[in-house]
Amino acid sequence: MSVLTDLSSDLAAVVESVGKVVVRVEGRRRLAASGTVWSADGLVVTASHVVENEENIRVGFPGDDSADAALVGRDPTTDLALLRVSGKPDNAPEWTGVDTLQAGHLALALGRPGRNIRASLGIISALGEEWRTRAGGKVDRYIQADVPAYPGFSGGPLVDAAGTITGLNTSGLLRGSLITIPASTVKQVVGELLARGRILRGYLGVGLQPARLPSEIAKQLSQETGLLVISVESGSPADKAGLVLGDTIVAIGDSVIRRWDDLLYTLAKDLIGIDVVVKIVRAGQLKELTATVGEHP
Amino acid sequence: MFSAIHQVNEEIASLVKQARLSLVIIGDGHGSCGGGTVWHPDGLVVTNSHVVRSKRCEVTLPDGRILTARLLARDEKQDLAALVVDIEGLDAIELGESASLEPGQFVLALGHPRGLKGVATAGIYMGTEENRLRVLFTENLLAVNLPLRPGNSGGPLIDSEGRMIGINTAMTGHNTGLAIPVNVAKVFLKKALGSC
Repeated sequence: MSVLTDLSSDLAAVVESVGKVVVRVEGRRRLAASGTVWSADGLVVTASHVVENEENIRVGFPGDDSADAALVGRDPTTDLALLRVSGKPDNAPEWTGVDTLQAGHLALALGRPGRNIRASLGIISALGEEWRTRAGGKVDRYIQADVPAYPGFSGGPLVDAAGTITGLNTSGLLRGSLITIPASTVKQVVGELLARGRILRGYLGVGLQPARLPSEIAKQLSQETGLLVISVESGSPADKAGLVLGDTIVAIGDSVIRRWDDLLYTLAKDLIGIDVVVKIVRAGQLKELTATVGEHP
Repeated sequence: MFSAIHQVNEEIASLVKQARLSLVIIGDGHGSCGGGTVWHPDGLVVTNSHVVRSKRCEVTLPDGRILTARLLARDEKQDLAALVVDIEGLDAIELGESASLEPGQFVLALGHPRGLKGVATAGIYMGTEENRLRVLFTENLLAVNLPLRPGNSGGPLIDSEGRMIGINTAMTGHNTGLAIPVNVAKVFLKKALGSC
């Protein structure tokens, strides 16, 4: 047999085997998307952006089986959602890390937007360190494969040549192009969603918009922009700290705040209950206030 | 160190070389319109219906000879057409079996995208298209993960052993396209030949 035929059969075998844990997720009005079985007790992970409905979610299994699914919780910052189906499924895949992955390796993206499994082939084109999504989510590794993003592939797995699931694909984080959330990040988010049904986030209680800093201050801080306070909730941590309309936040603790995602990223759960120094520009002067970060309701 | 890749390259090159012997250009006398595949050595060529714009068209063989072809049959709903050229001894493509295809399998598409002759693109069979996109009348088209462009139509989709498993028919995205399963073409040709 030729190497090509061997390779071809190997790829088909991987698709057949992993395809058993790839499900269809009907959670929005238009085209259905995909989901991947997380554990044998009925947990399915998918992309948050494909679950537009909070109720009446259906999950379709290989063959013609389908079941109702309940939304356990979602994390829009990493575009992950966790569903629970009853009765099904009985086999769960192994989710492993990306330690053995290298740029150049073959990778398959699987999806089940319709009745049948679909596969798409490419190579790992980029493998990087931790990164931050535009919504302020923290993702352990940057994994991008050049597999074509086919409609409905979000929520399906990225699989290596050995059939190992390395992460969950979504087109919801990088302006439509497919990116993979590594298994380790999925695991962490699933753990939090199971424990609380949501992701704990720090909270200040301010409405903000990006604003350009006065040139003097910009020079002094080597920072062009900050976040202008346009509303303060009464009784909120920001209110108690003395933040008022017109202040511009430029840093929280050691973290520079230039844009909205800087703030979301900084206000991660580990700051809840902690006193932080909020550096602001008020009336053209730099000023420091102390706020106790609350928990996002 | 790179022996596996090297061997894969050689194998792909030889598949392409072999399949090109059965790949023709179909034109209307003013320019090329697409591809076609030699189905039988006695001058039977299969292609897409949308490639054949008139009842008489020109077929350019791999060796460069240009022949006038007669339209034997066409089915616009299935987007299939059968042409006959008055010649014998052509290199017919080996026929495969589209019913046993499995998602993930390696496939090659041959054709003349944007007028470039004999171009091969490689990818995998993604799965069956349940006609969500309503591109064609035929149900269960083959979705492929490779680029198809205008001019690819009518050319063969082959498997890792060079057997024809489909007819390249439509692009659905930058790197995805649809092919008509060879089994659908088999039924179509059986009918076409039975009626002449």
